[in-house]
Amino acid sequence: MQQRNNFSWAAHFLLPAIILGSLVGCDRAEPTAYKIPKETREVSMPMAPAATGPAMASTGTPGMTVLPGMAEAADEAGTILYTTPEGWTDLPASGIRKAHLQVSDENGSADLTITTFPGDVGGNLANINRWRGQIQLDPITEADMANVAKPTAIFNHGALYVTLDGGVDSILAAILPFHGYTWFIKLQGSSATVFANESKFQDFLNSVEMEGHAH
Amino acid sequence: MKALLKFFSSLKLTVVLLVFAMMLIFFGTLDQVQYGIWHTQKLYFESYIAIWAYPEQAPGYEALQWLHIPMPGGYLLGGMLLINLVAAHVTRFKMTWKKSGIFLVHFGLILLLISELLTDLLAQESQMPVDEGGRANYSQSYRENELVLIDRSNPDYDQVHSIPTSLLKPGKVVDVPESDLKIRTVRYYPNANIGRAQPGSPHDSPATQGAAVKMNIVAHPAEVTYDENSINTATAFVEVIAPEGSLGIWLVSNIIDDRFPPQMVHSGDQSWEIALRFQRHYYPFEVELVDFKHDKYPGTEIPFNFSSEVMVHHEDHTKNQKALIYMNHPLRYEGLTFYQASFANQDRTSIFQVVRNPGWILPYLSVLLMGLGMVIQFGIHFVGFLNKRSS
Repeated sequence: MQQRNNFSWAAHFLLPAIILGSLVGCDRAEPTAYKIPKETREVSMPMAPAATGPAMASTGTPGMTVLPGMAEAADEAGTILYTTPEGWTDLPASGIRKAHLQVSDENGSADLTITTFPGDVGGNLANINRWRGQIQLDPITEADMANVAKPTAIFNHGALYVTLDGGVDSILAAILPFHGYTWFIKLQGSSATVFANESKFQDFLNSVEMEGHAH
Repeated sequence: MKALLKFFSSLKLTVVLLVFAMMLIFFGTLDQVQYGIWHTQKLYFESYIAIWAYPEQAPGYEALQWLHIPMPGGYLLGGMLLINLVAAHVTRFKMTWKKSGIFLVHFGLILLLISELLTDLLAQESQMPVDEGGRANYSQSYRENELVLIDRSNPDYDQVHSIPTSLLKPGKVVDVPESDLKIRTVRYYPNANIGRAQPGSPHDSPATQGAAVKMNIVAHPAEVTYDENSINTATAFVEVIAPEGSLGIWLVSNIIDDRFPPQMVHSGDQSWEIALRFQRHYYPFEVELVDFKHDKYPGTEIPFNFSSEVMVHHEDHTKNQKALIYMNHPLRYEGLTFYQASFANQDRTSIFQVVRNPGWILPYLSVLLMGLGMVIQFGIHFVGFLNKRSS
């Protein structure tokens, strides 16, 4: 009887111990090599991540089309200097983007991009309506412009301050005509994040300084 | 030996362990405010010892910052409870028909403890974003990262060599699997701020190749975030070593992703893309998102339904499957469970939580056993009581 008890004691303890011990071994990360079907890269331009963090890695989202000469034209426009607000990340800019910053909080994230183009790029109304389309808002007419775009000053030059509240996503932007170029400073992302950072966005605009060949 | 068995099988130990378990849950819940659920789980429940420190945000921190309370962690408590229960059975319980219900309850409990451990060790969670009309054949983890070297020279397939970032320790050299290359980690930051170096200001970057040099990118370590909605920008400076010598040092980061031109490593006539990215899990099938629906209550922004209509295309066409994934109706396919988790990109991208948990059936089974045990035990007593009355 005593013999049997000893055996069952060992069986009860040793077996789980061996199983658990071998399982713990499974948890270790190891280098691996594997084959995958051919992958194609569809986007090679930085683009704004979607409102939630994980969606950043979404594949196949249409990126921005860069027309020949656009990047060169942007290079011609000179440089913009600014102070990165606290808590924002300054990301690498490339192509037609002069700067790319990002801010995220518990509500989502928002991207600030600075682009510049020669001329007036179709006029303020066309640009505002293009942005409205990006956040699922209907276009407006010239008469409604005053409701969304207010005059402001950036680097002592007249500019427009644009507020577009799209519900889920929103845009705060400034349009600055400067020596033959138009500069677009746009904060776009989840509405809560965008509006929570409005004062930092305004501080950012106040920190802007332009250095141009034309100045 | 006997004394040891007596200690492990005692009911007093059970009570003490249960009290510690309550403590662990209480302090774990408090720390969840600070660390979020994922990290708290690691600190308190997937550990042997947990230490609660008086939180900085709490009132009176100045006076109480010395306060640290150590307690046994989840693994220790679960393991001890398991040993306690098994030991009690070996020493005290006799298998009789009258006690069969209790045995079933205990067996269910043992199974539950084991299933929790199995889930901890074997379960794998990741996310799969799919665009409407698009397909995805992999999911990715947003907590673990991997350093990959991808050889795209073969016209039929891409060869991926992957090294988990947990192996990237500064100064350490890791062999790249199935290749002649080696990786020496120069620096590794679990989270970092990445930006362009300010012109004129001195910066210290060990990179000698790739995007960091071309675009003048620098990385500064940042505090790791445990916020569930934030992502850590895992970043490393790695030296690639070929048999003929060092090829240079690259800056890799999960923020320098597919949106950027690939960084290339060349050795002889071979070349690889090098990247640090969120750990990917590839599958032998593709999930196509046919349609994503995000219904709102009329006239409001309040959602009442998210659903994704998907078509799964398997390499083996007989396994193709159509499914509608929505709240509480995941798709179970090939040992994986796809839950509707989130959406993005103005409702054009659906994000699935992909869970591989080989032990998913065990908790159901153990709860069933415990329920059955209770019914049997109660039934035996009830019948005994009725018999007593009628006699």
